[in-house]
Amino acid sequence: MEFVFETNGLTKRFDEVTALDRVDLKIGRPSIVGLLGKNGSGKTTLINHLMGLQLPGEGSVTTLGRPSAELGHDELIHIGYVPQEIRLLDWMTVEQHLHYVSCFYPKWDREREKRLLDELELEASKPVGALSTGNLQKLAVILAVCHHPHLLVLDEPVSDLDPIVREKLLAFLLELLREDEATILVSSHVLRDVEKVVDWVVCLDEGRVVTDSALDELKERYSRWRVVSKNGDLPEIFSEPFVIGQEVSGREACLLVENGASQIDAFRSTYGAEIVERPLNLEEMFPVLVQKKSSC
Amino acid sequence: MILVVDPHSGIPVYRQIVEQIRFSVASGLLEPGEEIPSTRALSAKLGVNPMTVSKAFGLLEEDGVLERRPGRPHVVRRRRGKSIHATRLEQLEQALRPVATKTRQLDLEPDTAVQIFRRLLEDEER
Repeated sequence: MEFVFETNGLTKRFDEVTALDRVDLKIGRPSIVGLLGKNGSGKTTLINHLMGLQLPGEGSVTTLGRPSAELGHDELIHIGYVPQEIRLLDWMTVEQHLHYVSCFYPKWDREREKRLLDELELEASKPVGALSTGNLQKLAVILAVCHHPHLLVLDEPVSDLDPIVREKLLAFLLELLREDEATILVSSHVLRDVEKVVDWVVCLDEGRVVTDSALDELKERYSRWRVVSKNGDLPEIFSEPFVIGQEVSGREACLLVENGASQIDAFRSTYGAEIVERPLNLEEMFPVLVQKKSSC
Repeated sequence: MILVVDPHSGIPVYRQIVEQIRFSVASGLLEPGEEIPSTRALSAKLGVNPMTVSKAFGLLEEDGVLERRPGRPHVVRRRRGKSIHATRLEQLEQALRPVATKTRQLDLEPDTAVQIFRRLLEDEER
């Protein structure tokens, strides 16, 4: 099996809304992939397709080597899934729920379960129905990882968790990657968290894949230039193709550039300007990645 | 070895690791023959993706700063005195580049800048 999941021309429409538009993705090897996009961009729909919970209108989805519509026992025992809307059995206690779910899997790591309950400070005897949203999220994660999945899919897993618990969870995802060589797909709005752990970034915009790159490559691709002219005013508008955002004021300008490294010397001499270059982090890059539109 | 990385800085984490290890070796904080933590240990300690650490180590190997040993953590490569000196000069030049830019932006003469720099170095000595 070459890829952990793969989509080819995946398209899904709901009446007039195109939720996914010819999505081509291939995710392989142990990796942590960040799935980003504005609300309504198709992230949850894509995840639902990977899990076989929704079926393609056009195109195909393959998860762990099988068409997602046909995922069976042999694949499901290797997948862990934390949905955005967590629905668990309210009337059970945390402990009972864990025990119940563990019966579905040939192997269940009780040590990991115990350690996570402890680290995430979740009381085993509490009824699931009485858990706060944050604690529900914690339980959902523990339920998804004790069988040592090869593929872990998390849809907004940290939105209700406090910073300390989020930190612990992210550290655990890295541990999963290291120890289990899992492939992890995490969709989250908390870009600062995503940035700490992912090595690959996929961005959706209106159902289309607009970014599909290594995080390092993105950081090297985009940067901000503070430009100061040594002789007189700068042009009102820079029309160079690598300038994707700009703010110009007299002798000064702030430019957002894409693949600007090879252009910087020529630019300096063309405009007789000093340039101070600053890289962008994921949060700063997000508007550019998602819409290729930007301001400084 | 103490490494500090900032995943939010916009500079890829692997590059931060490479630069800090290069600096540690150039300044003698890491000595030739000294062992570096394993990829696993370092990624756990820094809380970063192990692939990032792997990438950094790979580059440092290519540059001849670190040496790979099968089944064991990397070590700092023993290098000739001359190339350590060259590395130190490179490090200093890199650090001074933004200062040179600022000097030009402030429309100051190189000699003025050198005078200030010399005074700063002498102040430190005291």
